Amino acid sequence: MRSSSIIYLITRTHGRRTHLLTSESIKTISKSKSLSEMVDQLLRSDYAAEISKLPSEEADSVRLEKIFLKTLVERFFTLTTDTRGNVKEFLEAFAARIEVENLKRVIRAKHAREKIEEQNLVPLSREYTLINFPALTKAENIEEAVSLLRETDYASIDKRLEAYRRTGHPIVLESFLDRIYFTRLWEKLEGMVEKESLKTLVGEEVDLRNLQLILTLKLRNLAPKLIEEMIIPVYYRLSKSNLRSLTQGGLEDFPEILAGTTYDKIAEEILRKSKSPAVNLETVISKRLYQDASFALKNLFLKSGYVIAYLLFCEKEARNLVTIATAIDLKIPEEELQRRLLL
Amino acid sequence: MSAAGRAGVSRGILLRLREQLEFTKKGQELLKMKRDHLASETNKLLSKVAERNKLDSRLMKAYESLKAAYLNLGYSGLASQATIVDKMEVKVRPWSIMGVIVPEVLVEKEANMNSISSPSAHQAASELNALMKDLIQLAEAESRIESIAYELMMTNRKVNALERVLIPELFELIRYVEGRLEEESLEEFFRAKRVKQVIRRSKQ
Repeated sequence: MRSSSIIYLITRTHGRRTHLLTSESIKTISKSKSLSEMVDQLLRSDYAAEISKLPSEEADSVRLEKIFLKTLVERFFTLTTDTRGNVKEFLEAFAARIEVENLKRVIRAKHAREKIEEQNLVPLSREYTLINFPALTKAENIEEAVSLLRETDYASIDKRLEAYRRTGHPIVLESFLDRIYFTRLWEKLEGMVEKESLKTLVGEEVDLRNLQLILTLKLRNLAPKLIEEMIIPVYYRLSKSNLRSLTQGGLEDFPEILAGTTYDKIAEEILRKSKSPAVNLETVISKRLYQDASFALKNLFLKSGYVIAYLLFCEKEARNLVTIATAIDLKIPEEELQRRLLL
Repeated sequence: MSAAGRAGVSRGILLRLREQLEFTKKGQELLKMKRDHLASETNKLLSKVAERNKLDSRLMKAYESLKAAYLNLGYSGLASQATIVDKMEVKVRPWSIMGVIVPEVLVEKEANMNSISSPSAHQAASELNALMKDLIQLAEAESRIESIAYELMMTNRKVNALERVLIPELFELIRYVEGRLEEESLEEFFRAKRVKQVIRRSKQ
């Protein structure tokens, strides 16, 4: 039986979805000749409040990126205020991807013993996280940073410190953060009343993340055993044996291993159509993820999967706007930009 | 100053001048050898500099990959990925080619990019890193050429000065001194003969 709070959440999400920029709007914005033209077009959107605070002569892609990410964070967490109980916990677990991204940035900086300021992180307000990022940014090294996570959901990351020290690759810790994030999200999902529509989106995202991780590490010739250790242990449409075959096989075996699964075209697109698989890997994976979200927005109209699809769309919108601002700044040709957009 | 304008001729001076000529000729030979060596060194380096066009096109390709990474990750995302790359360490030490001090750049530690988790950032970093080594070699070659070209110009001037001014002047001076010495010895001979004649006449 669906609770009234879920119905309320879905209804509110339908309302909020109308605030998102349509594909046509994104296309129009992408045709802007300058950042000020882009800013003008965004003055009729949710970004207006933040953008209007920015003097037009100070509008650069770095500042705009901050605004887009800040709005994304607000959208993620405003939704959690409409809910209670398991649903709230699930949405908070979903929104934790922002703190995971920030943790990854801190780990990268600590690995290189470089200074990191809070402004280098995704602007995540203190009220939305239990992690003490100001203290983390001041940590001397990874060990100290990990010790600061002892009382948080990421406490188990210290188990991977030994593997990190052995390999010297912070990607070991980054993948473990993803593992913690998705495992927890999957657990919270199990507690939801209407979980099938949610499983489709979250499950496919895990599969795609695992595929991206394996392909990335395969391109670096990392040992299959190490890659296997880094996989997120949530198996949706890719079974454990599928993933093991992928880690142990060569890159050329990918299409064959993925044949018969829903991801067969991805392998082909990444490996066969591109001379350099690494360049298109993220775009192809992201496009697939947001295609799934787009499908859910059209077909899971009254199911809780609609909420996650909306959040993924928020993320897509932020990424597209960041891409457009960067492209305008770097004077990327329009055709190239259109190819990079996640529409 | 012409040789005729010089004063003081003696066998000692002639010997010294001949030694000086010999020494100058040896110096000229050495300078010619240095010039040839520097020229061949420049030729070798020019082949490296000629690859600049290829390097330019590779650089443009690497920039394309970098732009792709920027588009995928945004500025803050790529900046975060970039922090993870170990810095490349190079050492510049002086190296002597025929007395010309040129820089020699040694890559002591290469940047390690295996830790970059984003595939597009890794691709861009790998392409740029591969280019860095070639760019360092190109900078080294260009800097060497600059130093060598200056020295080559100076050596050429010295060789020309020896060949066209100093050695001909020495030749002329030696010829003049030899001529004067010959004249002096003839004069002496004539004087001695005259003295003999005078003595003989006075005895008679």
